Amino acid sequence: MTKTRRIGLGILYSLSGNYSLISEACRTGALSAIAAINAEPDLDLQFTAVERDPKGNVDLYGPMCEEILRDCGANHVVGCVTSWSRKEVIPTLEKHGGSLWYAVPYEGFEASDHVVYTHACPNQHLLPLLNWALPQFGPRGFLTGSNYIWGWEMNRLARERITLAGGEVLGERYLPLGSTEIDRMIDEIQMTRPDFVLNSLIGPSSYAFMQAYRVLGLTDQHFRPKRCPILSCNLTECELPALGAAAEGLIAAGPYFRGVPAGPRKRDFGSSHEAAAFASVMEIARLLAHRPGAEHFTLAKLLAEYSGAAGIIDLETHHTVLPVIIAQVRDGVFQPLKRLENVAGDPYLTRGRNFPTAPILRVVS
Amino acid sequence: MKRPIRIQNLGGAQALILHRPHPTVAALTRQLAAIGLEVMQAWPEVGAQALAMDFVFFDADMGHDEMFPWPIRQPPMPMIALIGSEAPGRIEWSLQAGAHAQLLKPVGDNGAYSALLIARDAFDAQKSLSAEIADLRRRLNERQTVVRAVTLLSARGKTEAEAYAQLRQMAMAWRISFEDAAGRIVGGSDSEGGGGGKRDRG
Repeated sequence: MTKTRRIGLGILYSLSGNYSLISEACRTGALSAIAAINAEPDLDLQFTAVERDPKGNVDLYGPMCEEILRDCGANHVVGCVTSWSRKEVIPTLEKHGGSLWYAVPYEGFEASDHVVYTHACPNQHLLPLLNWALPQFGPRGFLTGSNYIWGWEMNRLARERITLAGGEVLGERYLPLGSTEIDRMIDEIQMTRPDFVLNSLIGPSSYAFMQAYRVLGLTDQHFRPKRCPILSCNLTECELPALGAAAEGLIAAGPYFRGVPAGPRKRDFGSSHEAAAFASVMEIARLLAHRPGAEHFTLAKLLAEYSGAAGIIDLETHHTVLPVIIAQVRDGVFQPLKRLENVAGDPYLTRGRNFPTAPILRVVS
Repeated sequence: MKRPIRIQNLGGAQALILHRPHPTVAALTRQLAAIGLEVMQAWPEVGAQALAMDFVFFDADMGHDEMFPWPIRQPPMPMIALIGSEAPGRIEWSLQAGAHAQLLKPVGDNGAYSALLIARDAFDAQKSLSAEIADLRRRLNERQTVVRAVTLLSARGKTEAEAYAQLRQMAMAWRISFEDAAGRIVGGSDSEGGGGGKRDRG
């Protein structure tokens, strides 16, 4: 079949700044999916990447998204890493009838009519992770995070779940975005001796913290992964190079880890970020293929008319059904420890498919 | 005192939108369905079904007192005003109707979730304050009963302070309020005197 339709596809990732490693992973996933679609002889369409790089400047996301939608005629944009940048582009999407495909884990509590969320939300990362970790390591947690919506909301949810399970939050500390001043945090963790540490820091703060925590574990056995591990819902393979040996023992939850069979294509990805961006582009292609003109539809119309039984997107929430994999870094590689199948995204935690954390029973002597 | 807001239990809650069919209703319905609520729409009249709702969104532009099947200002659930015209008269009416939160029209992609949480928190706060005020008011009204009970007890040879302490002990033993204990003493005395039956507000 000849490729009769050339369709622009927006790519909006910051290739510099605090979270560039994640951006690069997502971008790789999106571009490799575009290449796969363009090489597919049975499809009538060909994607052209329309790229913009806001360089980590949140104020550039809105205007650059507008450029993609208005000047380049593209209707779908794969992009954004931070929730802040996602919120910045939504008004632009509404104005131009465009759609954003968001391929990173986030804190939930959103279901925009103009956004598809192809990575995990808390019932697909944090809640199953805590549900698994509390009985394993104990119910006393220390919560860390960047001073930002991701850290705040993750720690609020974690506190709620830990308390419900009869556990205790021994401390909750935040760092400004980009800050590497982790000494006080480390001191407090050393003093309070929790059973686990939840790391919801971002970028360089997270790297500095992980490195200092590893050093702490060298002098005090309590702070080794076996006794008091670091838990994360946002670290994937794409940030392992920045962590080096400090990643050893890290336990993370995500919908995919490298080497784990993923989807019907059994394709291997570098990380879940890459996999989610890849899946986004493939789904756009599935929705548009052999339907001339569909590239001009709004997301709502496109999904209502063409999503069908094979669709991966929940029509009410725009989230997806994903596996939940809990994995630990061993010898530099994430090794799966537990896997849950087919967990539907429940961004407002209202759909009753959440995992109630079992109360921790203690031996009373 | 800081009360934690209730966040988790919106799933399966029922919301009624009192508004004529309009894109705003469609947009709001989409938002509420995404959050996990069951949504109904009615206009201009609403039947007794409204009483079973967990939330009511109402049109502030074309609304009027008679549209609600409950006394004005006394909605039995959280109410959210859908405001198009920000004219003072309409805002005043929305407040009289009992709005606990508002959403500006046209309703688009967001706003419903925070309106739900804020409305329910305001509703809960109003309800618990009303109950507290009613209880305090009742206790204030019972002052005379307390005085009468203490007088009755001290008539049996006790000092006023002793009578007061005895009344407190009775309230504790009966596990009822001080005022209710006083009511029992006075009521007992009244029935001894051939008056009405025993009053018990326990």
